[in-house]
Amino acid sequence: MTRPDLGTIALRFFTLLMMAFLIFPIAVTLVVAVNPREFILPPNGFTLDWFKAAWSSKTFLRGMGVSLVLGLVAATLANALALPAAMALVRNDFRGKGAVNLVLMSPLLIPTTIFSLALYIWFVRVGYGSGLVPLLVGHTIHVMPYALRILTASLHNLDPSYEEAARNVGAGRTRTLFSITLPVIRTGLISSFALCFILSWNDFPISVFLAPPGWTPLPVELFSYIKFQYDAVAAALAGSLILLSALAMVIIDRLAGLRRVLRS
Amino acid sequence: MIRRLLPPLAPALVALLIFVALPMFWVLRTSFNELADGAYVVEAMTLDNYARFLGDPWYLVNTLWFSIRIALVATAISVICGYPVALYIVKTTGLQRNILMALVMAPLLIGLVTLVYGWIVIFRGGGLLNSLMIALHVYDRPVRYMWDIKGVVILLVYIGAPYVVLSLLDSLERISPYLVEAARNVGASRWTAFWKVVFPMTMPGLYAGLVIVFSLNFSAFAVPLMIGDSNTQMIGLIIYREALLNNDLPFASALSVIMVAVNALILVGMAAFFGRIILNRLEAKR
Repeated sequence: MTRPDLGTIALRFFTLLMMAFLIFPIAVTLVVAVNPREFILPPNGFTLDWFKAAWSSKTFLRGMGVSLVLGLVAATLANALALPAAMALVRNDFRGKGAVNLVLMSPLLIPTTIFSLALYIWFVRVGYGSGLVPLLVGHTIHVMPYALRILTASLHNLDPSYEEAARNVGAGRTRTLFSITLPVIRTGLISSFALCFILSWNDFPISVFLAPPGWTPLPVELFSYIKFQYDAVAAALAGSLILLSALAMVIIDRLAGLRRVLRS
Repeated sequence: MIRRLLPPLAPALVALLIFVALPMFWVLRTSFNELADGAYVVEAMTLDNYARFLGDPWYLVNTLWFSIRIALVATAISVICGYPVALYIVKTTGLQRNILMALVMAPLLIGLVTLVYGWIVIFRGGGLLNSLMIALHVYDRPVRYMWDIKGVVILLVYIGAPYVVLSLLDSLERISPYLVEAARNVGASRWTAFWKVVFPMTMPGLYAGLVIVFSLNFSAFAVPLMIGDSNTQMIGLIIYREALLNNDLPFASALSVIMVAVNALILVGMAAFFGRIILNRLEAKR
């Protein structure tokens, strides 16, 4: 065992500092959310009162409802669009496959500001300026590339001979899809759904452009709240969002490997 | 072949055509339109919206040039902060690596508003950061972070650095440890081995990271909206304001076109710069 040299020690120290930087706002939010003395640090106890207040606020509950519906619909639609495309891309080699793949991933390449503005202008143009459809479409298109990426990866691991065997014993296309393909790529589907849901649930830029009056998703609601009021109830709500995101991270990481998914 | 490929690919491709390609084209078209009575978009073929932005020194200096500068600065800091972390993470294994990776990826999955809330607690006048810095004798009177360019840069680095780490890791993991060992065996110091062997091989990852982070920073609107003030009028924020608050869709569209064009120009510049560095290295090796 050699003694670590100065360079390694410096590297380790710097990494520790950066990790402290990355976790700083997350830890602070969680501490304020359970601190009976609100912003006065260090905390002198533990309370769930702020959480209770956040979870009984009508505005926040309504925002949660909107975000929940939005996330579920966007994740479902995105996966419904991405799954057949992923199967076609994995199973076939054809000229222009790279180009098709690039087109399918293109929503990732466009700055969200411009994507949201473009959809906003487009729906105003077709006379559907303020409604729920633009918001749903925006979220669906925004998360679809992530679904495509996870599903492509998990379909690569699927042995095509399973499906051939099912077809050989007389199963139709639909039967093969539901009895063989979907169960085998189950983990990919679950993590793809979880990722799409959490990205939609946490999204701010698209929602702020496209959300119609009366359908304000939770992050936009939280933003308007902290603009005017500044208290530990907001911390409890932010803390809840952090915990939910952490749960999604664990699920996605266990099932698909988070790193492969987030790479841009 | 087409008959087999078309049914599964068509829904996604058609959705992208209708909801990405056509809207993007419509932004371009709208940028030539006029706003009548400050409310109605009128079909036209005018360059007024571009002239209004490009002919106004205030916009050019305080918006465009400001966005370029702040994006470059935040990107540079993200690289400086991210590079050592990637170098360290690539050598770790097991639980330590999982924890480090989770911390790096957390800011990318937790929503922006949630993270901004934490940073507001940290930034406020008598907040944590000032107390900490004063206790550590870094400076002795509170510094303004909220509604200030400093807060905006810190937030941009906070979101950008994880992307740098992830794209650098892609490159670093491809480098065989034997290569560094070989360099050390023929007498290279640790520093020389890094500088001559590892660093050039991370150029693709570094470039990918730069492209992502610069584009994110340059088009940012949520961060200056939540943390910034009248002194941080980034171009993305002006687009947001003109489109949603002033309802001036033609002007917002022209700004978007300018933003994409400038972004592309800067990325081309970066590509040329990186291409030259890589070529020079190859020449030097011959």
